[in-house]
Amino acid sequence: MISKNKKYDIKIEDISKPITQMINLSLKDLMPLPPPYDKPDMEPECTEPKTEWREKYITELDGYIAIDIPWKPKTKEEEKILIEKFLNGLRNLLSQEGNWTFLQPLLLSLDYCAKCQTCSEACPIYISSGKKEIYRPTYRAEVLRRIYKRYLTPSGKILGKFVSGEIKLNANTIIRLAELSYRCTLCRRCTQTCPIGIDNGLITHELRKLFSSEMGIAPKPLHELGSVQQLKIGSSTGMSPEAFKDIIRFIEDELIPEKYGKRIKIPIDEKGADILLIHNAGEFLSWPENPAAFAILFEEAGISWTLSSDLVGYDAVNYGVWYDDVQLARVAIKHAEIARKLDVKKIVIGECGHAHKALTVIADRVLHDELNIPRESCLPILWDIVRRRKVNLDPNKNNFPVTLHDPCNIVRLMGIVQPQRNVLKEICPYFREMEPNGVYNYCCGGGSGFAIMQSMNFPEWRSKIASRMKFKQILLAFQKEILSNKPKYVCAPCSNCKGTFRDMLNYYKATERYNIHYGGLADLIVNAMVDLKKPFIEF
Amino acid sequence: MSLSILQISSYGTLIIFIIGIIIRWKKWSSMPIHLRWELYPVPHEAGRFHYGGSYLEDIDWWNYERKTTLIGELKELFAEMLFIKRVYKYKRQLWWITYPFHTGIYLILIWFALLFLNSVIVYYGNVAISSNILWNQFIYYAVLIVGSIGIIITTLGTIGLLIKRYSDPSMRKYTTGIEYFNLLFILVTLITGIIAWYYDPDFSIAKTYMISLISFGNYSLPQLGNVIVVHIILLQLLWIYIPFSKMSHFIGKYFTYHKVLWDDTPNLRKSDIETKVKELVTLKLPWNAPHIKKNKTWLENVKGDYE
Repeated sequence: MISKNKKYDIKIEDISKPITQMINLSLKDLMPLPPPYDKPDMEPECTEPKTEWREKYITELDGYIAIDIPWKPKTKEEEKILIEKFLNGLRNLLSQEGNWTFLQPLLLSLDYCAKCQTCSEACPIYISSGKKEIYRPTYRAEVLRRIYKRYLTPSGKILGKFVSGEIKLNANTIIRLAELSYRCTLCRRCTQTCPIGIDNGLITHELRKLFSSEMGIAPKPLHELGSVQQLKIGSSTGMSPEAFKDIIRFIEDELIPEKYGKRIKIPIDEKGADILLIHNAGEFLSWPENPAAFAILFEEAGISWTLSSDLVGYDAVNYGVWYDDVQLARVAIKHAEIARKLDVKKIVIGECGHAHKALTVIADRVLHDELNIPRESCLPILWDIVRRRKVNLDPNKNNFPVTLHDPCNIVRLMGIVQPQRNVLKEICPYFREMEPNGVYNYCCGGGSGFAIMQSMNFPEWRSKIASRMKFKQILLAFQKEILSNKPKYVCAPCSNCKGTFRDMLNYYKATERYNIHYGGLADLIVNAMVDLKKPFIEF
Repeated sequence: MSLSILQISSYGTLIIFIIGIIIRWKKWSSMPIHLRWELYPVPHEAGRFHYGGSYLEDIDWWNYERKTTLIGELKELFAEMLFIKRVYKYKRQLWWITYPFHTGIYLILIWFALLFLNSVIVYYGNVAISSNILWNQFIYYAVLIVGSIGIIITTLGTIGLLIKRYSDPSMRKYTTGIEYFNLLFILVTLITGIIAWYYDPDFSIAKTYMISLISFGNYSLPQLGNVIVVHIILLQLLWIYIPFSKMSHFIGKYFTYHKVLWDDTPNLRKSDIETKVKELVTLKLPWNAPHIKKNKTWLENVKGDYE
């Protein structure tokens, strides 16, 4: 293992070396956490992968496994085929036919990086890991850049490493590069700092696409159990339209009457409604209070809306946005077709960050003609309900400390910054910002699909490395009250962020030890409603 | 009228440089429209840039005219171009080196512009180069000050960048041979420039050389020493090389910012964007993964039965 030699400084070309594992993570190297997590034994040590995993999956990078399908080449012949496939994929990635969707941004980022490393300090994963070289935002980008220069450009073919730098394309390079493309949450914080506008997050995204679109290699939760299942069964959760209707009945018959004191009819498949509201289907299974809160607020505000029970229509997720443009387009088109069929005026996306970005922004240049239906975020609508006093609210009902997590997809990547803050300032007397916040926020650590990737030891890596900076922010936001018994609420208007907070708070035992909770924005608004007899949010 | 080889190659250099820049520009501008990939803050968002907001914060945003500000965009553009704002903010120790380097280059470009302007006025305005008129006084000091500061700080910046790139492990292991070559090329050109400057301390030879270029040989070329000739040749090679090297990142930077990170133009019905999208979805996919139908169009791949 290279990292056992502390003085060894990992180089780009080390990615191709026949070593068991490039780095070995250790608790003592990681970014320290603030009190009360500055004491020993507050978190477990990093673990080693099981021997049987090493045989089947790629543990050659850092010992953690994101791609939970066996695809390691076993023979020289298989290695040769792998290299050919990879290079063919790279050619497709650099072609108009295969990749008009991101060709210009990709080539700009491959051609112009000055390697000044201005971006490094912006990356929460690089910093949290104790500055492990392989997690530096430029590392995987430079590996890809060198392969591209060496193998696919005339200057690289003639002048070799003088132009491309040292790089060897072998099985080790490819398998590690694939894993490495799942060690970045695509938060694009690094891009904000680049003086030339180079986008290392985009390069990561494109690498994932190469592996998926050319070689069919992607983590199961994103592809096979994700977008493929969503298109086939209706939802990446595996929820069928019938199961969805059952859950809605449960929300109508039990959850809302119990919490709200009266029954509400949740509109499903109502043609001609103003709004088609699409939630992340994970909400119905894990946090049904959130869609219930939306139903209560929309009912109170007199909004004309509907849900859809059509295949894909009740699940806003679009995992393609993280790894495969074709899958992205397939799901986006389904969403638009359903809205067209229901003849709604617009689609509104519930509290799900990546679904916001996928359907509103990224798919904007996929949808055309009658499928180019107006799409918007739920957050301005929630603010409008609060601002116009369409519900009767008593902020004192939210008498606990609240901080706001900015989902990268909604804030940094869409510029929706103020509506959610305005709501919290209005209804939460103990609201305080995290630092940094807004468009300069840190990712929760679950971005780009990490929130739903639960195979083998990947959740440990996510909580320990990817979420570490966010956990630090949460501890600092509540630092004054951290030891008090008061419940503390992290407002996260995004399903995947919530999933990450659930796992993070559980991993660090932060709910058990310090009464830190998480939840959505609509839930907080309903919790402040004067008419509610008992709290909507229960700690 | 007689033209030396050096003069002819000077014209050639300019032509190749311009063609090179046009080729580069065409390469980027002729690429297909891409999916939206903006990153906030976006500086043309009027009244929202200071906190990174966008028009997507409004309900029914498509019903209202977008409020954009060109001035906002230009302010951010110049803050980055002239002050290298992001390096100043996020990597100050590098900024102390890269800022003089880039500012020095701007000053050298201004120096060229002054020489050019002077040549036009002297030659076409029939101004005697030796007369004591105000313009000659102004140009004497302007060229002297701008040129001196320009060449000194660019040289210091280049040396600093070379040292930094080599001594900082995080930069060294990412730097390839050609990237050192680029800096060394600039440095050698600058050093020959400094030696040439020793023989032409007030840049009078430089001024005369430019006038002879402007006059297409009608104005007699001064006697040029070997060092000056070598410097001019190196300078010409550098100008020819720039458009085809990473030093043309000033073009790339326009596209990364204006056409990617700040491109938040929505695809409205019947817009140019929609027309382009409709053409692009007819391209045939070359991908080989099992879930993709190879050689079928994007549209065939994403609509209807793709199982």
